[in-house]
Amino acid sequence: MSRSASRTCEQMHRRPVRRFLALGVAASLVAAACTSTGSDGRVVIEVFGPYRGEEAVGFAATFAPFEEETGFDVRYVGTGSFAADIQKRVTEAELPDIAIFPQPALITDIASRGLLAPLPESIIDTDSSEKRSLGSATIGQHAVWFRGGAKSLVWYLPTAFADRGYEVPTTWDEMIALSDTMVGDGVAPWCLSIESFASTGWVGTDWIEDIVLREQGDVLYDQWVAGDILFDSSEIRHAFLTFGTVVHGNKTVVGGTNRILNTPWQDAAAPMFEDPLRCMMQRQASFWAPQIPEGFTFEQDIDFFLLPGPTEAPPPILVSGELAAAFNDRPEVAAFMEFLSTPEAGEGWAELGGFISPHPDFDPSHYGSEIDRRVGQVIEDAPRIRFDGSDQMPPVVGTGTFWQAMRDYIRTGDVDAAVTLVDDSWPRAVQLPEG
Amino acid sequence: MPPDSSTDQLLAGVPAVSLWDRVREREVWTDDQREEVLDELFPDDHRQIQYVKRFAVLIVLSTMIAAFGLLANSAAVVIGAMLVAPLMTPMLALSASLVYAQMRRFVGALLMVIFGTIAAIAVGWFVAFIASGGITPESLDSEILARTSPSLLDLGIAIAAGLAGGYVLTHKGSMSSLPGVAIAVALVPPLATVGVTLRLGATDLATGALLLYTTNLIAIVLSASIVMLMSGFVPDHIRLLARGKMGARLLPWVIALVAVAVPLALHTRSVIEEESFSRLVSQTVVQWDPRATIVDLDTDIGGNRASVVITVATSGDGRPVWELAQLIADTRGVDVDVEISFQNVRTDASSTS
Repeated sequence: MSRSASRTCEQMHRRPVRRFLALGVAASLVAAACTSTGSDGRVVIEVFGPYRGEEAVGFAATFAPFEEETGFDVRYVGTGSFAADIQKRVTEAELPDIAIFPQPALITDIASRGLLAPLPESIIDTDSSEKRSLGSATIGQHAVWFRGGAKSLVWYLPTAFADRGYEVPTTWDEMIALSDTMVGDGVAPWCLSIESFASTGWVGTDWIEDIVLREQGDVLYDQWVAGDILFDSSEIRHAFLTFGTVVHGNKTVVGGTNRILNTPWQDAAAPMFEDPLRCMMQRQASFWAPQIPEGFTFEQDIDFFLLPGPTEAPPPILVSGELAAAFNDRPEVAAFMEFLSTPEAGEGWAELGGFISPHPDFDPSHYGSEIDRRVGQVIEDAPRIRFDGSDQMPPVVGTGTFWQAMRDYIRTGDVDAAVTLVDDSWPRAVQLPEG
Repeated sequence: MPPDSSTDQLLAGVPAVSLWDRVREREVWTDDQREEVLDELFPDDHRQIQYVKRFAVLIVLSTMIAAFGLLANSAAVVIGAMLVAPLMTPMLALSASLVYAQMRRFVGALLMVIFGTIAAIAVGWFVAFIASGGITPESLDSEILARTSPSLLDLGIAIAAGLAGGYVLTHKGSMSSLPGVAIAVALVPPLATVGVTLRLGATDLATGALLLYTTNLIAIVLSASIVMLMSGFVPDHIRLLARGKMGARLLPWVIALVAVAVPLALHTRSVIEEESFSRLVSQTVVQWDPRATIVDLDTDIGGNRASVVITVATSGDGRPVWELAQLIADTRGVDVDVEISFQNVRTDASSTS
């Protein structure tokens, strides 16, 4: 059955929008309410996002109940290079109805061009607590945090720890001491690899962000992410050097620098599941969990502890996830945005596993996966959460030079070059000469 | 043979035998002639031992040739193996003894076929074992893969070959066509394929090859039986008296034929569906980016999601892959996962003088 939709109505209205923008009128213009219908007569909502494969199936479970209730046809297409593709779609004015953004910075960027529709009044997030920061106020007005993930997790095998007499560290210093002990015992403490096609480097940025959050606190973290503190500052350089003790230490990472740079991030911890295992800990986000091999039960065979802070107090948690934002305010599109903002939206996907709801009112009984439930609890209980820094930085940095800097730093150990690369690329307001 | 000169008959005042009568005319067999044919197909006496020895040697050698030929991807060698293969004979013996109701010969021929089947698979396995350096299921080439996914076409071939085999046997003077029949029918190459693929652990490929062989076996026996029945090979008294029993003897084979036709039909349909989806993807690629050429394409439409793994050469930046996925999904009405590799082709030129 062909799924082609009649879209002439949309296209007709797009051209006037482009002309307006060309004239420099940066009004918050929105495509006129002109519905798109499929060949079966159903109203079509086009969604564009980063989910592929199993995640795409999970997302389908999310909108299936919405489709049933409303009779709308949600058509989702996902891409492996979302950041580049959404920019291209904006440039070519081939906009979807809704996009699912893994980086808040892209939202800020696109909203500043007047292309995003503000959220319906009823669902604007008015939570202004210090606990959570997703970035600028623009985000709060235009985007719904739909799916969450925690990044400050260290995965390990409890039985392997017990066998060797290792204890879960509760402070950063304890963790470093444990790492030294492991090296002395002849096993690499860290499983780490970062290869990820054009996005290689993001694993390193997560490390730096977690370290900055712990060494410097959330206020400085926010300033750094906003660009008010340079990468070439003593605080951020210190974070790089701390990371250096992990990646450049003698036998601290299994396989050495070569493996770090060339092995896909999904396979980083494969040596941890070998017998005998060849690395003991992996600091990695919750979305790595689907890589856990069959036969390893969560909590018995594999578990995580929170990446510790400087003291025994509960550490801040680096979070990630995706935010949905709409390019127009057609009634069906607004209806879907409202649906995505409800705790019920995540239930279908949570039951399949691989979905964590950032919604405080989410009913945890819908989690099909124990890991998801635990991580949801981690986000809920954290004293402070901060959204991934590189995802908030300007795209040229956050999905560009920061990744490159991490690749370079891991390979060469040259902090100077790394921080300069990023600072030089940061789009700052041009200082006009005076007089 | 009855006198066949219609002119003579006319002159003698006897009504001429019409052309239709001539066509329907069956060969006249004497009991000695029948016994001769059956004996050649499967000897019942002291020559049986030599027959079995000869059969064993030929089955091992022909399968060896076939297995090596398949691994070397040489069609000529595989055809050579088919000419040496001795499996056709016991199968025709099965047909003959089936319609002639000779239980002892039937059991004997059946045992030969079973023994030959097992021996051939074992030889195929052994050849793959000794030649195992570097062969993986992925590196198998066209000759061997062609034997792993049978369709209804192969059933048609087997039926036609079985009819031909039966005809050749019961119409003297057509023995020169027997090699042709042997080649058309795939008996030893699929068995060699079963052995080789089992050794490589590719059980799904082995199942396909076994299905191909079984199809041929059943179709040949059944078709040859029918031709023999129609050709007057069976003496009238047996044919008329034992009609019910004849049906009972043939019925299991008919059921077996229908039984293999079912997976073949399903397989054919899925093959057609896969090929049609593959063609659709190729066409969609042109629609998506006219400058792109397909270097490699692997599609799979079984299951609820379709999968496309594609390598594309393009001289420009290319269109984003999500557009291709959306085009495929919209045209075919199915959700699809696309993985793409781009090869950038850049042409340039330079001269000196």
